Parts: sequence; structure tokens; C-alpha cells
Amino acid sequence: MTGRVGSRVPTRRLPTTLRVGGTILIGFFLVALTVPLWAPYSPVETVALPFKGASLDHPFGTDVLGRDVFTRVAYGTRIDLLLSLTSTVIAVLLGAVIGLASGYIGGWFDNVLMRAFEAIVSIPLLILALLVIAAAGPQYSGSLLLLTAVVVLVYTPRVARISRAVAVDLVTRDFLTVARSRGESTWSITRRELAPNASGVLLVEFGVRAGYAPILIGSLAFLGFGVRAPTPEWGLIISENRAALATTPVVVLAPAAVLAMLIISLNLATDGLARYLGRTAVRTP
Amino acid sequence: MSLAEVEALVEVDGLSVDFASREGFASVVRDVSFSLRPGESLGLVGESGCGKTTTALSLLGYRRPNSRIAAGQVRFRGRDVLTLSARELRRIRGRQVALIPQNPATALTPGMRIGNQIEEAMRVHGIGGSRSERADRVHRMLEQVLLPPSARIARKYPHQLSGGQRQRVTIAMALACDPQLLVLDEPTTGLDVTTQAQILELLARLRTELRMAFLYVTHDLGVVAQICDRVGVMYAGQLVEEAPTRELFGNPRHPYTQGLIAAVPSVAAPQRDPVLLRGLLQREKLPQGCLFAPRCDFALTECWIERQSLTTASPDHRVACWRWREVSVPEVAAGRERLDRRPAPVVAEMPLIDVREIECAYEYIRPTRTARRQPLLAVREVSFYLNPRETFALVGESGSGKSTIARAIDGLLTPLAGRILCGGRDITGDVRTRPQQLRREIQMVFQDPDSSLNPRQRVSQIVGRPLEFYFGLKGESRRRRVEQLLDDVRLEPLFAGRYPDELSGGERQRVAIARALAAQPTVMLCDEVLSALDVSVQANVLELLRALQSEHEIAYLFISHDLAVVRSVAHRVGVLYRGELCEVGPVEDVFSSPFHPYTHMLLSAVPEIDITQVLLVVHTDPATSTSASRSACPFAHRCPLKVGRVCDDVEPPWQVRREGHAIRCHIPLEELTERTPQPSGRQTVE
Repeated sequence: MTGRVGSRVPTRRLPTTLRVGGTILIGFFLVALTVPLWAPYSPVETVALPFKGASLDHPFGTDVLGRDVFTRVAYGTRIDLLLSLTSTVIAVLLGAVIGLASGYIGGWFDNVLMRAFEAIVSIPLLILALLVIAAAGPQYSGSLLLLTAVVVLVYTPRVARISRAVAVDLVTRDFLTVARSRGESTWSITRRELAPNASGVLLVEFGVRAGYAPILIGSLAFLGFGVRAPTPEWGLIISENRAALATTPVVVLAPAAVLAMLIISLNLATDGLARYLGRTAVRTP
Repeated sequence: MSLAEVEALVEVDGLSVDFASREGFASVVRDVSFSLRPGESLGLVGESGCGKTTTALSLLGYRRPNSRIAAGQVRFRGRDVLTLSARELRRIRGRQVALIPQNPATALTPGMRIGNQIEEAMRVHGIGGSRSERADRVHRMLEQVLLPPSARIARKYPHQLSGGQRQRVTIAMALACDPQLLVLDEPTTGLDVTTQAQILELLARLRTELRMAFLYVTHDLGVVAQICDRVGVMYAGQLVEEAPTRELFGNPRHPYTQGLIAAVPSVAAPQRDPVLLRGLLQREKLPQGCLFAPRCDFALTECWIERQSLTTASPDHRVACWRWREVSVPEVAAGRERLDRRPAPVVAEMPLIDVREIECAYEYIRPTRTARRQPLLAVREVSFYLNPRETFALVGESGSGKSTIARAIDGLLTPLAGRILCGGRDITGDVRTRPQQLRREIQMVFQDPDSSLNPRQRVSQIVGRPLEFYFGLKGESRRRRVEQLLDDVRLEPLFAGRYPDELSGGERQRVAIARALAAQPTVMLCDEVLSALDVSVQANVLELLRALQSEHEIAYLFISHDLAVVRSVAHRVGVLYRGELCEVGPVEDVFSSPFHPYTHMLLSAVPEIDITQVLLVVHTDPATSTSASRSACPFAHRCPLKVGRVCDDVEPPWQVRREGHAIRCHIPLEELTERTPQPSGRQTVE
């Protein structure tokens, strides 16, 4: 019996994951946009004694230089969202096009490209990032452009490999044969025929990657290769205050919790979105 | 003691099964009741989605994960299997009731030797004694299903066997524990006609030898006529008619049964006009009354309001129709004579497509480093032509190279030798090297619309893309043209906004045809376009193709394994065997004596709705010989009329019987006429 797959039709109701994740994400965007209007202090000025615990005046305490951690975290939203979202969007788009086209073209082109990407993927994330920063030279140290480029470079091969897997699965389908015999170009086939089928996978990939981007950027800041102090950036904030982990843990844990919340909300939202958009080529009978 | 007094083996009583859907539960099986006596063979027929498989699986106490049994009992030897625990069910399944599934390719574990798979069933049920006794029994099973009972075949893996052999293995597995009831779910659907004839013969023999009862689920009425004592017809989950086979085909009472029988194309009587079943089964719009009312020509007001349950029309014959007395129109079953409505082909000086001695091969992977890179020819010296507005059919079993030829014409595969001309111009070679104009004129429609439609594109995109690509249509004009094309393939404009998975199989194939039409082709390559569809849907699509041919003046290269369909649609036919043509000619010449021995074999293996028909079964498996042992005549190793060494050593000559009809065989035509009579009980058309 070839039952029609009625259950795959998207429901009118948004999935709960999308609604919860989306709400939190919108909250982050609002904070990033409006923070100068309501921030109680300046993010870079000393306003109290260093390492004070949570209080009504300073909900997240104060940092090593006596700056208000809550204000710094709120301002940090701007730079973290900007960096992680732009870099991940670029990486996912680039990786998707390269991976889908490579899987579709196949042959030696695919072989060479994928072996090269595997070589890149086999290098641990941080070491690769440090290599790129070192290669760029000290004049670019801490620039947002370089950080974006680093994230793109690190993520693109990973996204490409996953997209390629989708394309390879589709390559024998007759609808590609139809497009090919119509005389469509590789670019047109990638964009019109392959990409829609990869959208679910890519959305999930985007959610995971965008969630990890702040960690990567934070790690680099932690090691001193990321955003320059005193720019408020979450990784940098955690790094600066790590000495107080035992005495006033809130100044470290609060920014960490905010970072975690961003990651979770991104994952929930993209997962829900992929589910909502529903249809993929890989159907369950 | 009459048959009716024998205690029933299975009694299905008021069975209703629901499937979970978004809006709650939907009925898939509605109040189905029937019984099956020991040793009896009951066929369940109906179109896909009618609930026949769901009903059949309930005999094993199985229901699919998202379904529930809403009501009813399934009593196997008096016990209701639907209430049994998993443990008790395991004791019955395989041991007393066994299943033969549809697709032997997925029914066998790919990583397990077939001997072990057969033995596993015995081991689980603790029969067959010691290890060595079980091994003996496995060999007996293999022998029973006519596989060579050697240790060698028992040690093979499923992928080393042909489709027919695999189905024999699943039969052996089902027989391993001597069950009393076999549930067969379309066991021959994916097989070639000749292989199907072999399996049907095997099943018929096993049934008489082992006295097993069959519940045979199929959509193929010809198969039912061959193997079943009684037939139940299902529609939208309801059993609408049940009668002994002879009675059902001779005297169908329900309008649906009549339509179904009339929709089956026949090799023997091509002049019958299919009385089309109107419309399609629409699950969302079932009336509260008779489920068939929306498609019934006899429906009255009362039919829409009140549902009729099965009532007795004659002692053995039950039917669920208020008006069975009036609707019994014998002519419907017998078929009406009709004028040939095939549009006459244009007689042109130059054929549209001229294929000259092409040879095609797929890339060959060397088995060892030192082996010579030798291509395995899929098509060998094939020549034919296609005139404008003509339908040329290529028939043959799977692996005969039919699709390869279509791919070569479409430019997806470059022939190793030979030329393909289109309107006098050489177009041999890859599609990328062809001019746009040519790519537009040759369009291909594929077998499986599931795979040929992008699941993430709406119908408007699928059909609209060629319009944009070839004609630069955009926006409103493109939208209008899409609607026109949908109208051409008899689909509502609202389909434009749908995704393929919201369409039924027949609707999807129509969309695929609309996409090909969008390019305004002069040639359409139809690669088994009907084989994934139900009979009544097939009849509809076939009618559509005919109409399009006269409206748009399209020539078809029609590839099919279904000889009956070919007979009703083609002007000329080429019969392919293992990549070589063995007979070419106008359809009526090819379908009448003298035949090429292979054509004869194919025609004699097609089961028809005729219970007196005896299928001609040839016990050679096409897969047993490899290309290494190729003889001069490719058919020599299977040919029942093989002359001798000459067939192996000398290329058979083309013997021209009359203008345009040629047979490639060593046997003189007069002798062929004698030795290949018209298949059993069929009148010659001439």
C-alpha cells in the first residue's frame, strides 16, 4: 500500500520549540538593539569596588575593574550576536553551495575538494583558528573582520561535508536527470533543485553552529586572541573574571548562563523551524 | 458434505481498522467480514489504498504502528488473533500463518546467507530437529521452490540472486514451518511476466501439494483469475463484492467491480474500449452512504444516504450495492467494440528520430587489477525509427536495455557506437552538447513520479520552470500557462500550489507529463510511465496520452513491459531481448502469429481475466546465464525452439515477413507460424 504521507504536511500551529526558542531569540535581539536606552551604567567605566556579589544595584555583581557585569553582558549581546550570526550565515551559505555542488558534480572534483576539507576538519578547532590569526599577522589582531573570517573558515568545511551528503543522496533521483537534460547549469540545479531539499539539514546545522560560534569567539578572547579589552564580549568577560570563580561566582556564571541561553534558544528555534517547514526529500514511509 | 459445511480456518468478522492522522482517526478498513476454509485460495483485490494489505496483515495479528483496531475479530481456528499477547502471536506467526511480502529485495536480510534465513524460521519454532536435519530440510525447501538444492545456493547472499530467485527464497522461508495459511501480499508485482508466470505456477502447485490456504492480495485481476478460488473486491476499506472467481469475472454485480474489470487492458482483445471509472477515490470526500456513489453511474439519492452492507445475490455471491439487480450489464464485462482511436501517424519522408545501430554500455568496474577493461554492452546494434505523431513501443523484460535506449536518445548516456539522428541531424552524444532547441523537443517522462518530482517544489514551480527556461515566461503569463497545462492533463488549477506529497500517484504522473508538455516537445520518451499506477488510473493516463498525441502532435517512444498496454497504445513495436531487437513491426503483426519465439513466450505468460487460460511457463531464469556465455542469438539459451548449434554460432538473420515487419530468427517464417500458435484461447485479430 502506498499510503499518502499526510502526517508530513506541516501543521498550522507553530511547534513549541520554535515558539520558545524564537521568543528568547527575539528577547536577545531587543536587548542588542535597545541596550543604550536603558543600561544603568557605562560598560567601560568603573562604578563600584571590584568583585562585589549580586545586589539590586548590580544584579550580576561587578568585575575585576569594578565595572557593572550586567551592563557589560547586555552590551556584549550586540557584539556576540553580530559576530556569531554573520559568520555562521556566511559559513552555512558558502558551505551549502560548495557541498551541494561538489556532491552533484562528483568525480575527481568532489574527491579533491572533500579530501582537502577533511584535512581542515581534522585540525582541532582552536588550533586552526590560532593558525589563521597568526598567519593574518598582528595588525589584524582583535578585528571583527578577522574573527568573522576565522569562524567562516572553521565552519565552512563542516557544513560542506553535511550538504554534500544530502546531494549525494539526491543525485540519482530522476528530477535531477530532468533538470540536467533540460540543460540547467550546475548553479541553477544547486539552487533550485538541491538547496530546498537541504534546507532542513542546513537549518539545524545553522542552529548548532551559531550556538557554538560565541564559544569559539569567547575561547579566542579567553586566550587573548579575540576581541580586545575593554570591548564587552561574553567570552572576554568570563575570561577576565575567572579569578573570582571561587569567591564571587556570579560574575562568571551569570555571563556563562546567558551564553548558554543563547545557544539553547538558537537550537530550539532552528529545530522547530526545520520541523515546521517539514518536507524533505528523505521521507518516512 | 458441501464446502460451506467445512469448518472455516479463518473468520474475519466486522473488522475495522483506523489510522491516526492529523484530524484524529481515519477509517482504512470498514466492517470487513469474510471467511477462508482450509486449502482455499481467496483473492483480495482493489486499488492502492483500499485497505487490502491492512486487512491481510491483520490475519497475522499485525497492525501498523499508527493504526488501531476499531472493531471486529479475526479468528484463526476459533481464536481471535487480535487479542493474543505478543508471545502467543509469535507462536502462530510463521508456524501456522506465514507471510510472503511484496518486495523480495527488502524482505531478505542482505547480510545473511539465504540458507540461514530459511533455517532461522525453523529454529525459532523449534522444528526440524537437529542441526543437520534442519540443513536437510532447508535443501528440501529449496528443491520445493525449484531452486537447485545444493549447498552452494544455500550459502549465497540475497544480492547474488535474481528477483525471481529471491521471491522463491521468501516462499521457501514461508513454507519452512508447514503453515496452514499463507498470506501473500502482491508477491509477483515487481517481477517480469515470464518470471511471474513461473512463480504463479509454483504457488499453484504448492497449494495442491501442501493443501495450504491462501489469502492473496493483489491489484492484478489477471493473476487472481489464475490462482484464486474466490475473490473479494475492496473499495475504500469496504468489501464491496465477494464471489467465486468464475462467477465474479463472468457476472460482476457491483458497478466498481465492473469498472475495474473493464479497465484492465488485454493482450488478447485490444479492441475493447476501456469503460473508464470516473474520477478517483477521494478519501476526504466520502459520502455517508455508499462509498462508491461519487463515481457510480447508477447512484440514486438513497445510495448517497444509506450504506448497503454485503447482501447475498446468489448462494456464493455477496455484493454491497442497492441496485445490483439493475446494474448487471453483461456487455460491460465483455467489453465494447470500438474503433481504433489511435491518431494516424504522419507519413513523413524523414523519421523524427532515427536510431542507427547504437551500442551502449555502462561503466564497468574491473573485478581485478589485471582484468581488461571490457564494457558490458547493455544495448547491441539496435536500429529503429520513430515517425512524427507515431507511438513506437519497446517491450522486453527488465534488463533488456529499454531504458538505456531512451537515455541514449535523451543524451544522458553516450553510445559507444552507432548514431542517433533527429530530423536528419546527428544528435549522438551528451545532452550538454545539444542545442537548446533540441533539448526542448525531446522530453522524457519517468516511471516513478516519486523520484521525478522534486519533493520540495510546488507543482507551479515544477511545471513552470521549463516555461521560464525555454520560453522566458514570467509572472502572470507563466501562471496562466501553468494552469493551461494542468488543464491539459485534467488537473484543477488549485493543484498549482501543492507539493508532490499532497498528490496521489496518478496525479503526480500527470504533473510529470505536464512538465514534459510545457516544453512543447515533438518527442516524448515515456519510460514505464504506467507501471507505478493502479489499473483504473493507468487507463485514465493512457487515455490522456492518446488525447495529447492528437492535440499536440507528439510522437511517443513508449517503453513498457506490459504487453497489453503496448497493444492498446502503440502503432509499431520493437521487442528487445538482452539489448538486441528480435522482432520489429506494426503492432498487430507483432501480436499475431508468426511470432519470434521470445515474443511468443512473453505473450503466453501474461495472465488475463480468463480462468481457462493456461500460462506457458518456461523454466529458465534469465539471470542464470552471464554475458560471458553469450551466443550468436541472444535468446538461444532460453529458446524452446532452439534449432541447434547454428543458434549459438551464427547470427540469426532478419526475416522480413511483410513491409515493416521483421523477425530475427533462424527458423523459417512458415515453420514459426506453425510452432508459435496464437496463445491459448485467443482469437487472431486478422
